[in-house]
Amino acid sequence: MNRILGEFLSTFLRNKGAAVGFVVLALVGVAAATAGFLFPFSPWDMRGAPFMQPGEMDFLLGSDSLGRDVAAGIAYGARVSLLIGAVSTVVAVVFGITLGAVAGYAGGVVDDAIMRFTEFFQTVPSFLLAVVLVAIFSPSLASIVAAIAIVSWPPVARVIRAEFLSLRSREFVQAAEVLGRSRTAIVFREILPNALSPIIVLASLMVASAILLESGLSFLGLGDPNQISWGFMIGAGRSVIRIAWWMSVFPGIAIFLTVLALNLVGEGFSDALNPRLARRR
Amino acid sequence: MSLLTVENLTVALPPGGDRALAIEDISFTLDAGEILCIVGESGSGKSVSSAAIMGLLPPALKVVQGRIDFEGRDLLGLKTAEMRLLRGSRIGMIFQEPMTALNPLMRVGDQIAEVLKVHGAGGSEGRVRELIEAVQLPDPERIARSYPHLLSGGQRQRVMIAMALALEPAVLIADEPTTALDVTTQMQILGLIKEVQARRGMGVLFITHDFGVVAEIADRVAVMQHGRIVETGPASEVLNRPQHAYTRALIAAVPRRARAIEEAPKGRPVLELIGVKKTYWRGGALFAPGIAVPAVSNADIVLRKGETLGLVGESGSGKSTLARCVVNLVHPEQGTIRFHDTDLRLLQRRHWKPFRQRIQMVFQDPFASLNPRRRVGDIIAEGPVAHGMDRPAALRRAAELLALVQLDAGAAERFPHEFSGGQRQRIGIARALALEPELLIADEPVSALDVSVQAQILALLEDLRQRLGLTMLFITHDLRVAAQVCGRVAVMQRGVIVEQGRTAEVFASPQHPYTQSLLDSIPGRHWLPPVSGTA
Repeated sequence: MNRILGEFLSTFLRNKGAAVGFVVLALVGVAAATAGFLFPFSPWDMRGAPFMQPGEMDFLLGSDSLGRDVAAGIAYGARVSLLIGAVSTVVAVVFGITLGAVAGYAGGVVDDAIMRFTEFFQTVPSFLLAVVLVAIFSPSLASIVAAIAIVSWPPVARVIRAEFLSLRSREFVQAAEVLGRSRTAIVFREILPNALSPIIVLASLMVASAILLESGLSFLGLGDPNQISWGFMIGAGRSVIRIAWWMSVFPGIAIFLTVLALNLVGEGFSDALNPRLARRR
Repeated sequence: MSLLTVENLTVALPPGGDRALAIEDISFTLDAGEILCIVGESGSGKSVSSAAIMGLLPPALKVVQGRIDFEGRDLLGLKTAEMRLLRGSRIGMIFQEPMTALNPLMRVGDQIAEVLKVHGAGGSEGRVRELIEAVQLPDPERIARSYPHLLSGGQRQRVMIAMALALEPAVLIADEPTTALDVTTQMQILGLIKEVQARRGMGVLFITHDFGVVAEIADRVAVMQHGRIVETGPASEVLNRPQHAYTRALIAAVPRRARAIEEAPKGRPVLELIGVKKTYWRGGALFAPGIAVPAVSNADIVLRKGETLGLVGESGSGKSTLARCVVNLVHPEQGTIRFHDTDLRLLQRRHWKPFRQRIQMVFQDPFASLNPRRRVGDIIAEGPVAHGMDRPAALRRAAELLALVQLDAGAAERFPHEFSGGQRQRIGIARALALEPELLIADEPVSALDVSVQAQILALLEDLRQRLGLTMLFITHDLRVAAQVCGRVAVMQRGVIVEQGRTAEVFASPQHPYTQSLLDSIPGRHWLPPVSGTA
């Protein structure tokens, strides 16, 4: 197994984009982890005069209209973004895998019913649905995670269903059936491990879109009011962008880099996990 | 002077492969009006040789040395554009997969006309029609207007041949052109190639792995092993008096017809199929019923203890469906599947479990039938674990089974992709035997394997059958294999068992016209492989 892992890592890192994305992501992670150590105060605290330029009065990235530290906001915001991105993706992936697996393995009427249900979610514009859900359940970390998960599971279900449909008729699955394995054993031990690679790729891209969704929500004022977040910072800086550009530009760059890094990593996964492409390199 | 001369051709493999050279020091000649067969097992370099002649080597393979002389020019020295002119017009090629070699979005007639147009040779409807007629396709006008998916495999291969012949090439290279086809179709295509070749005096370079095909078609033979030609000579010489040890081993591995069968088993029936029927439904919507495709209709089979029944037939005849009915992978809508005293068809899933131990199956494709993410030991131990054996005991049992199928014990710790096709098939057999079944269903267990590996697997199955007292239902499309392995055979055609009986009798005096045509289509049926004591 270690050899397979090593092979995977070497193909993954040979992709320069993926390596860069990985480094950027690591930096964001370090910022989030060390936020409390680098900025041992609440990001909501007033630390000096408002509208300070980057570099003035110990404000690395300037201060906002209430004299709060933009750099601290970005570091603490990274926590929220990564947390929401990761948790909502996990929820969406688990939900999507469950429904997709049932649909693909059972087939027939069950499959039809589940796929129509999935399509129902896909026909509603996902951002609007998320806005409505958060507005109804009042903004909090939990409701935001739930809203993002609810709008982003359908692609997972579809991919997993397609994988299950093709793997179900493969001979090794039939062999397990003939050996007398139970349905759960067949699904979890035979089919699922072979269906996971596209999901890993998809999940890394879903984290990116979850971060974007969360930023969009908090930009509209639907973020968790107790947590600073990148989207909220841009939203707050929007009205004063002519006098204090740094208030919206730096959180914007943070979102841009994180999402780009996640996409690069996702592409790297996709190349490394696709044996046909991997061999051509 | 010969039409095509290959001299000391050596092609290197990319570093890190299992050997340094794909082909090494290959020399042969091809004269006008002769068919030269290059025979070898997979990986012997026969396809690389033909690709080198066509200038179609993958970029990773580099010619190290050698010459390929054709009509006074060295093909290896030609520029891409010059080679392109030659391809199709002077050297034609037929590929193995007729299903993928044609453009699915273009009418067949247009595709043939395209070949002519590309080389500036017109492409009129009349000429296309002539070509379609030349490959003996019925109703040329309709064929020319059809899209490839409307044609059968054999018809598509004929279209490919028409395209290859369009510009009357001096040399035709055929890379396993009949391997993907059924025996009866194969026979027709072989006949067609031979006929066209004789009519036009072409030189044909025919690549195959099948000695039966060689016996059918070849004037001369070159045998390849590990990238070298080990023996060349006239077909009759090589087939009947092989000199090189490898050729002898290959020919000895060709299944021999009609072994001496012990007396008919009189034990009690293990498996009895009565009137089994399975229909597939194609298409159909909520209110529109689909089209019924009968896969198996009214199949009656009796299998007695200790015997091997062969189920033979061409692709689509329903033999695999019938086998899958027995293990409940396919649910027949009618009939009785009696295993000892139980009708398996009526059992529910949870009542099936005890029978899973007693009926096991070996699958066709050794590459698809093992889970790529699990270790071989776990794969073999899976059955016993599912039936309640504890894991350490099951793994010990797996090690014993690996020894039984002649693999070393270290195999248990490795993953399936580290093994060759034959080794994987051994793993598949070990998995089936782990539950100590009484009835073993083997669904084309050797059809994906090279002939020498095939012989080993067949010998292993026979040995296990005798030692463990197995009853076996053996599905195959290869009549030679059936003749060697099975005491009785049942011949299936379009879902119906048309003939059933003792193998020797069926082969000696087939009653049904379909059985007769199947037997007539065994390639090289007039050639009996020499029984060599030395091999």
